[in-house]
Amino acid sequence: MALKKPPTAVTTEHSGRQHDRDAAGLLKQLTDSNAEVRRWAARDLADCPGCSEALVEHLKTEADTSVREVILTSLVLLGDNTAVYGLVACMRSEDAALRNEAIEAMKQLPDAVSPIMRGLLADEDSDMRIFAVNILESLKHPSVEQWLSDVIEHDDHVNVCATAVDLLGEVGSRTALEPLLRLKSRFDKEPYIQFAADLAIKRILEG
Amino acid sequence: MADPVITDEDFQKFREFFYRKTGIQFDNTKRYFVDKRLLERMADTGNAQFRSYFTMLRFQATGEELQVLTNLMTVNETYFFREEYQFRCLVNSILPELVSRKKDSGPLRIWVLPSSSGEEPYSIAICLLEMWAGIHQYDVEIVASDIDTHILDQARRGLYSDRSVGQLPKPYLAKYFKRTAAGYQICDDLRGAVEYTRVNLSDRADTRPYRNFDVVFCRNLLIYFDDVSRKSAAETFYDALKPGGFICLGHSESMSRISSLYKVRKFPEAIVYQKPAE
Repeated sequence: MALKKPPTAVTTEHSGRQHDRDAAGLLKQLTDSNAEVRRWAARDLADCPGCSEALVEHLKTEADTSVREVILTSLVLLGDNTAVYGLVACMRSEDAALRNEAIEAMKQLPDAVSPIMRGLLADEDSDMRIFAVNILESLKHPSVEQWLSDVIEHDDHVNVCATAVDLLGEVGSRTALEPLLRLKSRFDKEPYIQFAADLAIKRILEG
Repeated sequence: MADPVITDEDFQKFREFFYRKTGIQFDNTKRYFVDKRLLERMADTGNAQFRSYFTMLRFQATGEELQVLTNLMTVNETYFFREEYQFRCLVNSILPELVSRKKDSGPLRIWVLPSSSGEEPYSIAICLLEMWAGIHQYDVEIVASDIDTHILDQARRGLYSDRSVGQLPKPYLAKYFKRTAAGYQICDDLRGAVEYTRVNLSDRADTRPYRNFDVVFCRNLLIYFDDVSRKSAAETFYDALKPGGFICLGHSESMSRISSLYKVRKFPEAIVYQKPAE
């Protein structure tokens, strides 16, 4: 026995890879009983514009973690409006895992998410507004501080403001100091807001 | 005529395009590095303006210029026995575990990427021959891949500088290399033991045929990728590995921060990541 060069440059194709790789074939494979076939299909669908809706729908029922993870990556790579609105719909799900996955995926889509961020932050459901702030946690976008400042200036829900103020303490600049002081006035009977706003102000002043 | 320049807008356009094609992202700190190479290629291809060069880069049917530019933009800095503790982990911990549950008589398969100029795959080959008794019982295949076609040619040639072999134990240097006027020439047996292939890790069509590997070494590459490309690469490796297969990353890289698909395995020599066994 020894070091041996493979007979071909790469390995033998698994039979699952020999299915049709066009969009129609891949969408069919998304329902295959073998998780490996579904995962490969989900991965290759990243190259098929127009398949976001089907991926989102499948995400809602897919049980295998590795397939779910690949579906989410493909949705991020597709990054179109259908993908983003599909992920927003997932954020409204009762399934906590699905909600968290959607939030994590949306963090990777700053350009696609930014046009709808104000709408998310104004959603009538306070949980959705909290999730929107969660997205801002690592959304690479220049408006993050402004959006957070707007939340603490205008949102009436203490938990939404509490989530935003925690984050503002990490990403905020001196521009956020005035909104933080006004937040303290608006919620002057809320000890946590007083504590969190003071902490954020301290962090910002310390630079 | 004024010297050609790369404007901020040109840089943005190029960096988005290059990222889409290769997964490699350049931030503003790399501006000088990128501009210098773009200007060099513009001059070599007779394009006085970025616009005409960029059009050629995007629409050239053969993709030849994109490959030339990719070769220039990739970093190929490595040496023999770099982060050698992972090779000890391979022979002392990973391979014994793999062979203990191996049911077939097929070869063990190792995928190394980026191969760069061959120091890493050849180091692995040397470690297998010198430090792993199992090599007498099992066949091992090593496939080494890179996006840079020039560096693959260098790897196949197997000619190295003093600096490249500086960390290599002297007995191995004497056994596997021949000193020539041009540098240290690796022996034909090792050159013949590694299969080199050109692969763009961000291209699903490129990576699709890579399957059934027991171990993947992908060290100090993902640090050049952004979050989405890293995650996509992790998923590519997941499909390339057999159930229970292992992936070794560079010392500053953590799969846990990239993907939840893998289990963390803490061996005495190193922390590596494992695709769950079925």
